[in-house]
Amino acid sequence: MPLLAESKVFIRPDGPDKVTGSGRYVADVTLTGMLTAKFLYAGISHARIVRLDVSAARQIPGVFAVLTHEDVPEHRFGSIADRTLFAKDVVRFEGEVVAAVAAVDADTAQRALAAVIVEYEPLPSVTDLEAAITDGSPLVHEGWADYEAADVERNGNVASFTSMTRGDVDAGLADADHVVSSRYVADASHAAPIEPRGVLAQWEGDRVTIWSSTQVPFQARDGVCETLDLPTNRVRIIVPHMGGGFGGKCGFHYEAHIAALAKTARRPVRLVFSREEEFLAPDRRREGMIVEITTGLNNDGTLTARRARVLLDNGAYSADSSFFPHMAAMHALGPYKIVFNDAAASEIYTNHQPSGSVRAPTAPQACWALESHTDELAAVLGMDPVAFRQLNCIDTGETGVAGQVYDEIGLQECIREAVSGIGYDQELDDSEAIGVAVGWWPSFPGASGAYVKIDNDGKGIITTGAQECGTGSVMTLPILAAAELGMEPEDFELVYQDTSAAPYDEGATGSQTILNNGRATVEAAQQIAVQLKNLAAEKLEASPEDIVLMDGQAHVAGSPDSSISIVKLAALAARGEMLLGKGSGTPADYPSAVGVACVGDQGLSGWAGPQFSCHAVKIRLDQETGVVRVLEVSTAHDSGVIINPTGARGQVEGGVMMGIGQALTEGTVYSEEGGQENPTFLDYKLQTMADAPPIKVHFAEIPTPGLGPHGSKPIAEAPNVATAAAISNAITKLIGRPVGQLPMTAERVWGTMAGQDEA
Amino acid sequence: MSFTIAQTLDEALAALTAGARPIAGGTDLVVGARQGKAPLPTSLVAIDRLNELALLESTDDGIRVGAGITHARLMNDPMILSDYTALADGAALVGSPSTRNLGTIGGNVMNASPAMDTGAPLMVLGAVVEIQSAQGSRVVELSELWTGPGQTTAAADELCVAIALPPRPAMSGSAYVRLEYRRAMEIAVVGAAASVTLAEDGTISTGSVALSAVAPTIIEVEGASALVAGKTPDDAAAVIGAAASDVAAPISDVRASDGYRRHTVGVMAARAMKAAARRASGEMIGVPVNRAIGVGATL
Amino acid sequence: MTESLTLTVNDVDYPVNIDMGRNLLGVLRNEIGLTGTKEGCDDSECGACMVLLDGQPVNSCSYLAVQAEGRSVSTVEGVMPADGLHPLQRILLEEGGVQCGFCTPGMIMSANGLLERNPSPSEEEIRIGLSGNLCRCTGYAKILAAVARTASEA
Repeated sequence: MPLLAESKVFIRPDGPDKVTGSGRYVADVTLTGMLTAKFLYAGISHARIVRLDVSAARQIPGVFAVLTHEDVPEHRFGSIADRTLFAKDVVRFEGEVVAAVAAVDADTAQRALAAVIVEYEPLPSVTDLEAAITDGSPLVHEGWADYEAADVERNGNVASFTSMTRGDVDAGLADADHVVSSRYVADASHAAPIEPRGVLAQWEGDRVTIWSSTQVPFQARDGVCETLDLPTNRVRIIVPHMGGGFGGKCGFHYEAHIAALAKTARRPVRLVFSREEEFLAPDRRREGMIVEITTGLNNDGTLTARRARVLLDNGAYSADSSFFPHMAAMHALGPYKIVFNDAAASEIYTNHQPSGSVRAPTAPQACWALESHTDELAAVLGMDPVAFRQLNCIDTGETGVAGQVYDEIGLQECIREAVSGIGYDQELDDSEAIGVAVGWWPSFPGASGAYVKIDNDGKGIITTGAQECGTGSVMTLPILAAAELGMEPEDFELVYQDTSAAPYDEGATGSQTILNNGRATVEAAQQIAVQLKNLAAEKLEASPEDIVLMDGQAHVAGSPDSSISIVKLAALAARGEMLLGKGSGTPADYPSAVGVACVGDQGLSGWAGPQFSCHAVKIRLDQETGVVRVLEVSTAHDSGVIINPTGARGQVEGGVMMGIGQALTEGTVYSEEGGQENPTFLDYKLQTMADAPPIKVHFAEIPTPGLGPHGSKPIAEAPNVATAAAISNAITKLIGRPVGQLPMTAERVWGTMAGQDEA
Repeated sequence: MSFTIAQTLDEALAALTAGARPIAGGTDLVVGARQGKAPLPTSLVAIDRLNELALLESTDDGIRVGAGITHARLMNDPMILSDYTALADGAALVGSPSTRNLGTIGGNVMNASPAMDTGAPLMVLGAVVEIQSAQGSRVVELSELWTGPGQTTAAADELCVAIALPPRPAMSGSAYVRLEYRRAMEIAVVGAAASVTLAEDGTISTGSVALSAVAPTIIEVEGASALVAGKTPDDAAAVIGAAASDVAAPISDVRASDGYRRHTVGVMAARAMKAAARRASGEMIGVPVNRAIGVGATL
Repeated sequence: MTESLTLTVNDVDYPVNIDMGRNLLGVLRNEIGLTGTKEGCDDSECGACMVLLDGQPVNSCSYLAVQAEGRSVSTVEGVMPADGLHPLQRILLEEGGVQCGFCTPGMIMSANGLLERNPSPSEEEIRIGLSGNLCRCTGYAKILAAVARTASEA
């Protein structure tokens, strides 16, 4: 039985705030006496700072604080601790913060920035991934070996790496009837939430409250504590409403800068980014990537072996990118039955903006490469690419590339449904084609906590540290609590994304909210259910085990007339042992992989709760210009049991549109020195409503045991994986060979048709 | 800093003489200032409420489009749609609905962007610009007005008050087509407008073609009429496409390389020629042509 | 030098003293205190700042506040009638057309402007009418459906 009745229209609890304009985002929050913060950025991709003098800036009337690296404790942070709050000695990308200013207004802050004297001695920029790992390449971090970082191997510009080997790949390739090698190059792209980030900090005594548009409030808090030497209970991060993240607002960003400014200024200080800053400064860009794949296949269509080599553009610092090589390696191998495989992936330091988690990090690019390659394989044998996938993709009980055996999975159902939804066998115009691709993405079990209380009128509040970036995942928690208590979702309000009010949660990252915080919320609600049953048992003179909570009533099983309302029970409880629940639960284990030799800095053994997808797209190509339009998309996802159908469909539709943008129009253009040349929405083109094709959504609702509540798996990132790949395969059908570069811009499609290798 | 809202054209011209800059919708001026391209002028006179600039009327010499006519009004005006269709195509492609509501033809012309979507249509339709100052008025050809990106021969105290378009001969049609990566919110990567008059036998009698975003200003394909005269629309399109690529002198930037622009401007010119010829023959093609035809369909 | 003027927003007159160069968006948000209208890009590319000016959708980030004197400005705060949500607001929520909500005020203003001019828009007319409003969350499908349903139920 679905958790929500089919007939029920579920209105997200924060919806009315958002449609009336009464909901506050960080840029809407003001405090009396508040100052405006602005940053001085490097503006150059790689240079030594030979002079930095802020004394004149500090003298400007209306300027309350000007900070540089000298004004904060010396700490390196990030997943391999290679970064400081302010640049010291060397700047390594154009958006690196050199100084920060707090002033009475934006104009004054701008004048203070202009008064900062900074002189640079330019250093050679590292921007080419392959050149960066050759001997003699300039190093992005000259002194890296001396950083006090976690246990990582120091090797030139290689920031982190993973290699996975299973079986004798050379032998597998040697035995194959055909060996196919491909090379694909993806440009960097951006999360591009419509809300530019904001941070507001206010000190009261020795405690600081920070309102921040962060997807990961606890990580932001811990970053402030780490870099400013503060205990966790004196730093409170509150996220008001947040205007989208897509990974771009994961990580620890600027909360410490603003807290430090506010402390020096003795005033509240607020930072709100412009769109250009949102493009240039944060350490959260979807990385550029070079993917080389070699596959051996037999005439019967089976795969003998696969070797993948992936280089990822780490950018200047490692935010959370050190697990990306593992992700990229898995995506370059794919959800296929291959006996022998080996993958090696490296994050390479460059003088580009740092890369970090953006919605399914590494997956859209690596999937685009692998799935384009897969259509090349099918073409070698003259096989239909769908039949080829049906033959080679993993199914329930089968063993995948990492040696993991997959329990109940729905990949084959996804292929069948997506293909049927697009009308794969239809007659097509000469300018039209259908492309198909499969994708996968893991789930991330982890620690999370929640409190639930029911007050004297029978209304509840869920207090959770989980973060609502827009997906609706936190908004779905009332459905879960209500189901445990026989109440309605509307009976619950939420207190959320406040690090001092609620227990820890990882935040809106890794699509993990319902998986982990849902588990916590269910456990907390179950504790209250026990309390209610005990109370009801006393009142109804029955045994607690016989009490059923349903439709707002507690009744004795089999005797619906013997009942008492939860409202009445709540009133009783309010005068004695109150209805309070707390939950965190035990996260599911990560399965172990079998027979894989894995070497690397970080990585997961096996994938917990892998999600599967198949996307099919119908496109039309303008043969004379290379312009591609997506006419129709059909998707199918195995994300387990779906708890909030409207919300889940919204995730798929949004993920597909983001994928279409990545496929066709969204790519960052870099200068030779490493600066971004299109940091605007005019030239970094998101898809518009006029471009949006109809999108069919099918869920293969296979209950997944031992993972999320009610057999669910996550859903937010998976829809962003396979779309660009499917579009690539459709384009290839029309022009005869893969474009090989992402995004597949009109000019690149045209260049591929014309047989040119344009830049 | 001063700001005045002119109630009459004379007031506006007096303000210009005193050093103010005109602002109508402000779509270029304000965005340019916020992007740091050019600071907002210290003295502004708003001309968006001048009735004198808000007329779109037939005259003995064709039609006269007040400088204050918005893109939204142009793309919906029956006279523009039927007789000066390329201008409606161009207006309908400008920016977003908001930009079309605020942005005016006068502002577009005087902003002198080589990527403007109404420029090429105006050029092939033979438009001239009426410019006025407190000292008097003059009429200037577009090719004499535009001298480079954002540069015109108009003096600081001169105001564009109207665009005059000559009457359309029988059996005429026009169209504007641009290359766009999205279906909306685009700026022309390249674009082309064509105007043709057909002979009795359906061949082309006279024609003209102008190109956007392939030179420092909108440019006309010189000698286009001679190239297309006597040809069928398809043959004319092929010839004019090649000629357009030849005369284009595009730059490379983040939107496209010079080679791609050179190629695609030929494609756009050929399509504009075909669409103009079809309209000249009485066929209805919706406005804008880009959306009426759609990607990948042949004209 | 500041200009003294009166702005009419959601049928209420607000006297303000502002620099000539201030955009309408900033004045709405900071002087008048209506923060429902959002800033997403600064240059008319995202539509989060959309308001109605005499009934027409306008990017308030790219419009000088002084130019709005004597005109009627409508923002998202003025959409809800006294007796509950406006149909478009309600239907957007029912259809799931709201996720992060940052584009929502601008979407609502563009849609209301469109429906005012054209009460029965075709799907293509809705797509073009709302093409100046970027949404990163929804993929637009549910917003499109909500606007179409609002028109059909009116």
